[in-house]
Amino acid sequence: MASSGSFSSGAGLTTLNRSSQPRLAVGCRVREGEDGVGALLLPEGVLRLKGTAIDILRLCDGRRTYAEILAEMQGRYQSADPKQMEQEIESFLNRLQQRRVIDF
Amino acid sequence: MATPPLALIAELTHRCPLHCVYCSNPLQLRTNSEELPTGVWTQVLEQAAKLGMFHVHLTGGEPLARSDLNSLVSVAHSLQLYTNLITSGIGMNEKKLASLLAAGLDHLQLSFQDAEESSADRVAGVPVHARKVALANLIHECKNLAFTVNLVVHRHNLDRLDSMILFAESLGPQRIEIANVQYYGWALKNREWLLPTREQVQRSVVIVERAQERLKGQVKIDFVTPDYYASFPKPCMGGWGRQLMLVDPSGMVLPCHAAAVIPGIDFENVREKPLSWIWEESASFRRFRGEDWMPEPCRSCDRRALDFGGCRCQAFLITGDAAATDPVCSLAPTRKLIDERLARANSVTNPGYRSAPAPESADPWTYRSQPA
Repeated sequence: MASSGSFSSGAGLTTLNRSSQPRLAVGCRVREGEDGVGALLLPEGVLRLKGTAIDILRLCDGRRTYAEILAEMQGRYQSADPKQMEQEIESFLNRLQQRRVIDF
Repeated sequence: MATPPLALIAELTHRCPLHCVYCSNPLQLRTNSEELPTGVWTQVLEQAAKLGMFHVHLTGGEPLARSDLNSLVSVAHSLQLYTNLITSGIGMNEKKLASLLAAGLDHLQLSFQDAEESSADRVAGVPVHARKVALANLIHECKNLAFTVNLVVHRHNLDRLDSMILFAESLGPQRIEIANVQYYGWALKNREWLLPTREQVQRSVVIVERAQERLKGQVKIDFVTPDYYASFPKPCMGGWGRQLMLVDPSGMVLPCHAAAVIPGIDFENVREKPLSWIWEESASFRRFRGEDWMPEPCRSCDRRALDFGGCRCQAFLITGDAAATDPVCSLAPTRKLIDERLARANSVTNPGYRSAPAPESADPWTYRSQPA
């Protein structure tokens, strides 16, 4: 019956690569809080995001590539180990993609 | 002071073109003349936003039965609230959908009674399935609207869960919610017909896990398991007065869909008191908040911060005491009341076993009625 090809609901390629342009999926948006804590609003609830998580999501605008997002974050946090930071960002984005929060 | 609530459930009306046998609305439906006018709902939305809520879930009854739905979505959107429309789809058309989108609707949840037309229509009590499928196709075309297909499952459709998931998938949602019937309101009245067998439940868990794995990254599947078969209660509504406020069609403010059944609690009305006062000060929202009210075994239980003692309404409906441990808990002294039900549901002599009641049956299930 339904194959993955029948979905036009925004689910694109499911592997993250350097030229992917991550963006928030339809129905998901970031709301800035007064206390500096961001909230990621989803159809079924809210995820409160702090620090780098919200920074990364702000960069997922559908225009910047994954490579550009990495460079931007590495530029902001120069004391962090770039390899480790890349692993963390990759796993964060993959987790959000599996939850249908972002599309690549 | 209480942490602010996360979301408002706006039960706009109890009018509904469907008569589903498992409807979660109370048996005492609010009448047309009791419904809040647009101006009061607008104030409620303003108060909700001010309280720091993130979501407003517009529900009913059928929220499309309200002629001011569009303006309420618009108000909520302008207040930065995330707007979720929970609908049967009946009353929607292309034009209304377009104006709801323009008003800022974020997400729409469309419920289906089954994948098979005849079974679906039998549960709804009216022939609506084909129209809902047509509407799903319209929604699927809206690229800016997030879409969840909701499937309510029970004894009479769980054996078709595989094909129901394929059906839901074919409608192209981002998310599928598979929700077992919960026994409140009309569903409790029809529990004898609806409670699944243990075998059905066990099989459904495997089917859902397989579908989740297969659709990973494409469609998110959320599964609400039947709590009668669980060992521990659900953290109902995330705890009494901890996350949610529900305003019923008449303006009564409740911590959940069913709480009006609990005797001895005076629930406030938005016509008289602001939401912030009700949330922070009212006796009704403080009644089962926190742990002071808890009996044993909850009071000393390690799980009390996980499930908050379970559901107060279920405790009342089954044990007669709203302050008792939720009887589905394996540690509850009243668990036998649930086990007796399960024994009946798993007995082949149960008249509801396998087949839905024939329309001319002497002991039919009860269709949800219409408000007077």
